[in-house]
Amino acid sequence: MANLFSNFKSVMYKNYGENPGKMLVHTGVLGWILSAMAQVSAVVFNDKISKEQKSFLIPQEMADAAINIISFYVVTSSFKNLASKLVSTGKLSTSKIRNYIKAKGVNPADYFGKLDSNIEKDFPEIKGDYKAFKNGVDVVASTIGSILSCNIITPILRNEYAAKRQKEAIAKMHATEQKNEIKQPQSISMDSYIKLASIKYPSGSLKI
Amino acid sequence: MVLYGINFSMSKTPFCSRLRASMRSIKQKGLNILPNAEFSNEKFLYHLKDIGKNFSSDKQRLALGVTALATQPIIDAKNKRVDEKTRKVSVARTIAKIIAGTLTGFFIRYGCIKAIKAFSQIPGKGVPKYKSIFTPKGVTDNTTDAFDQYRNAMGTVVALGVMVFTNFLIDAPLTKFLTNTFVKHQEMEDKK
Repeated sequence: MANLFSNFKSVMYKNYGENPGKMLVHTGVLGWILSAMAQVSAVVFNDKISKEQKSFLIPQEMADAAINIISFYVVTSSFKNLASKLVSTGKLSTSKIRNYIKAKGVNPADYFGKLDSNIEKDFPEIKGDYKAFKNGVDVVASTIGSILSCNIITPILRNEYAAKRQKEAIAKMHATEQKNEIKQPQSISMDSYIKLASIKYPSGSLKI
Repeated sequence: MVLYGINFSMSKTPFCSRLRASMRSIKQKGLNILPNAEFSNEKFLYHLKDIGKNFSSDKQRLALGVTALATQPIIDAKNKRVDEKTRKVSVARTIAKIIAGTLTGFFIRYGCIKAIKAFSQIPGKGVPKYKSIFTPKGVTDNTTDAFDQYRNAMGTVVALGVMVFTNFLIDAPLTKFLTNTFVKHQEMEDKK
């Protein structure tokens, strides 16, 4: 157990010690996962919710969680990775770093913005300035990505998904009404749907 | 091992080589479209460096909360799929959720990062053992940027664990209380 904890600390130090942007993305994803787990558990362990209601609410919570986690990870890590690439190829840089590279006799047109360029590996002697700039850009990019994802893209996607789900429930309800031979409805009634939706644990922006 | 062999031999096929070359070409074209940017303003670079060094997850959570207040209630208020009353309640609920989530998210992250800082001292004379419980093995300097980032990361992970419980103990009841308060206030405003 002590060894496991010791290894965990070393992994954390090695992975995030020099990469705050990556840390913000990964802990953000972990936050959404734990948030989703808490919300699903809230339904699973709630005695006031019947088995039938649970079978409806649990998949709904899981679908919500999938939207939250995937959109956060895709948008935020894309922003962060793009920013990292721009900085590592010198497309986005400081005058100090660029002047240093030019002074080394490198042709700017052949180096800056080329996929193979990697300032950190090619010029380790300016690692200090490079890292400070890169970390700043990474953090700004991760934060913009997470704001876009959590506050704009995810709520819109979730609203669209909720509307689609509601339409499907209404269509199912009408289909069930038309089939006179089916005495026991196979799906839930609209009243039950509305009731379930109202007691649903708030998943939207309740990010931890 | 067999799968690795298949994967390796497939990656050498002309199709895979062409696919890789095409992907590379697309990426390079994408990079070419973006303009070069060179920063020389010392003040700007100082602040950017400071953000990279000190902008931890608690500040990110605060930034998320503040911007959420500016966008999410508007998205809810413009949702034409629901009636006006539902829309008003949903806006109140969203604002309440953001306030409750941001307050607990910020303060718990802030507290945990501070706590990790206190318990990640370098072992030595006069330093009780419990004060170095979060110090990784082999680290002898806790004044580096890398160590600060480690403290932020560890503090955030601990905070996330704590928030699994506070989500139920604080966020949910606080959200309910704030929603009811906002809805009552809204109803009183409507009566006027």
